[in-house]
Amino acid sequence: MSSSVAERAAGRKSPVNRTNINRALILIFVVALLFVPLMVNAGLLYLVGTTLVLGVYCVGWNVLFSWAGLASFGSGGLFALGAYVSAVTLRAGWGEYFLLILVAAALVGGAVAALIGLIALRRTTGIFLAILTLSLAELLRHTLMQMRWLGSEDGISGIVRPIVNLGFVRVDLTSGPAYYWFICALAALVIALCWWVAHGPNGRRMLASRHDVQRAAFVGIDTYRTRLLAFVISGAVAGFAGGLYAPWAQIVTPELSGMFRSTQPILFTLLGGLHSFWGPLIGAFVFMVVEYATRTLIGIQEIITGGILLAVVLVFRSGIAGGWNALIDWLFPDRESR
Amino acid sequence: MLLFTFINSLTLAMAVFLVAGGLTLVFGIMRILNFAHGAFFMFGAYLTSSILRDSPGSIWALIGASLVAAAVAGVIGLVVQHVVLNRLRDVDEHFSLIATYAVMLMSVGTIKLIWGLEFHSVNPPPELRGGSNIFGTFVPNFSLFIIAAGVVVFILLDTAIHRAWFGKIAIAIARDGWTSNLMGINSTLGINIVVAGSFALAGLAGGLLLPNQTLSPSLGDVFLLLAFITMVIGGLGNIRGAFIAALLLGLVDGFNVYFMPDAPGILIYVGMVLCLLLWPNGLLGESRL
Repeated sequence: MSSSVAERAAGRKSPVNRTNINRALILIFVVALLFVPLMVNAGLLYLVGTTLVLGVYCVGWNVLFSWAGLASFGSGGLFALGAYVSAVTLRAGWGEYFLLILVAAALVGGAVAALIGLIALRRTTGIFLAILTLSLAELLRHTLMQMRWLGSEDGISGIVRPIVNLGFVRVDLTSGPAYYWFICALAALVIALCWWVAHGPNGRRMLASRHDVQRAAFVGIDTYRTRLLAFVISGAVAGFAGGLYAPWAQIVTPELSGMFRSTQPILFTLLGGLHSFWGPLIGAFVFMVVEYATRTLIGIQEIITGGILLAVVLVFRSGIAGGWNALIDWLFPDRESR
Repeated sequence: MLLFTFINSLTLAMAVFLVAGGLTLVFGIMRILNFAHGAFFMFGAYLTSSILRDSPGSIWALIGASLVAAAVAGVIGLVVQHVVLNRLRDVDEHFSLIATYAVMLMSVGTIKLIWGLEFHSVNPPPELRGGSNIFGTFVPNFSLFIIAAGVVVFILLDTAIHRAWFGKIAIAIARDGWTSNLMGINSTLGINIVVAGSFALAGLAGGLLLPNQTLSPSLGDVFLLLAFITMVIGGLGNIRGAFIAALLLGLVDGFNVYFMPDAPGILIYVGMVLCLLLWPNGLLGESRL
């Protein structure tokens, strides 16, 4: 979806082209998201809110994967860290400063990612990095299960959604719709930040080091620092999303750090569209629909999910975003660029 | 108590090696880290339990049923190889990771569909139910059986790969399939055989380790992760490395149980992280079989 200069120039010629259609779609989607609480019941609202939080988490992961070309299989651990930070501080009754708590969750996620990245990125990439991060998340899960003051295996439940003090006004987030709109606002903010990073000079440097590390190093890019930056950003976003998730779900368990949560961004990103900024969000919502539609079919759910993934990897490598863009290009061919 | 812990850690080591052995084979020849291996392990366990119905009549019944499970898993593995793995040869390693993850999801779904969500458990065969007295310590016979099975499988694999003619062919294919083709070796056939063998090993391991396990659809994940760790510590695609790493992993876990009983299962991960940082390519280095 990243539009090149040529596409933008072409866009001025004819109003019906890919960029404009996609912009309109995003606008419609955002408006629809804002009106969700008025249309659906509490259960569905919870589902949509969760998907939104996970979407943010996956957008952060995608900056690491699609831009810097590193696959972390342990970002679930950072998500869990953020969730526990938020759960513990809310349990202590600091709900008034919830925004600061979220910042703290992001900082914790970023700091831990920096610590891991500082050591790991010097020596490992590819499969080794995947396994290393996977085991670190697993280590965290085991540790969390031993910590009695964090509720051991049961985790922390009954988390109270906070009433936030913004200095001049107090915002009551205790109701579902209120917290949902809060999620919407913060999700937009974080996604905008990620967009800004990904499409700025740092994003360009990350892309360069994904395409060819050696050449990137030759033209003077500090590839180690670039990768580390991507690692830290994705860690901070994961921590932030975790912090946002805890009061929404009202329960956190060590399972948050499990393999399931860590592999989710991979599934979402691939399904939505690899190397596309919006891919993870598209994937998250499509997966939500599939899971919701098959929620009563034990076993078949996994088969369908696996089948979709397999089809994406084997046949349809650019995912939904890629397929959609190709379709639009075919329907409304752009004469300028041919 | 010390000896008991030691035997227990050896049992864990060999159990993990049984799973990691097959993973190593498929990685060695195709450079694919197979997430589906855990699911096929589980499939072997479920199939064996269906054949045996709760308790096997004798040790041979257990071994026989495991071999049947291995054969079935091998055949299904061939199908997976044909449909999925073969098409992943020239793609980015992330894609192949995710493709095998998808196969894992589908296999787990199928297992849930066939066998349901309930927990099953199977007793050891009568010969293995009791224990032996070694230097005054009670050691369950079943542990000795697993240790023996692990050692036998390792010796067979190692001989097959490093001594036998077909092992040398497999190594040649793994190093350079294109050149082996020029030398008149049917490398596609060779790869198929090795991959089928790997899946069969997963099924066999599932069957052999079945008694004393609680069968549930999440059984595969536990073993898969430990096997991954073993592979990475030993050196990807290196069968001897996998064996040594499995022993190490077992001993570290035994140490953990003995000296830090309050925090089970933590030292393995700490050790693995340290190992990876000290030897990023594994103890014995990465190898193509």
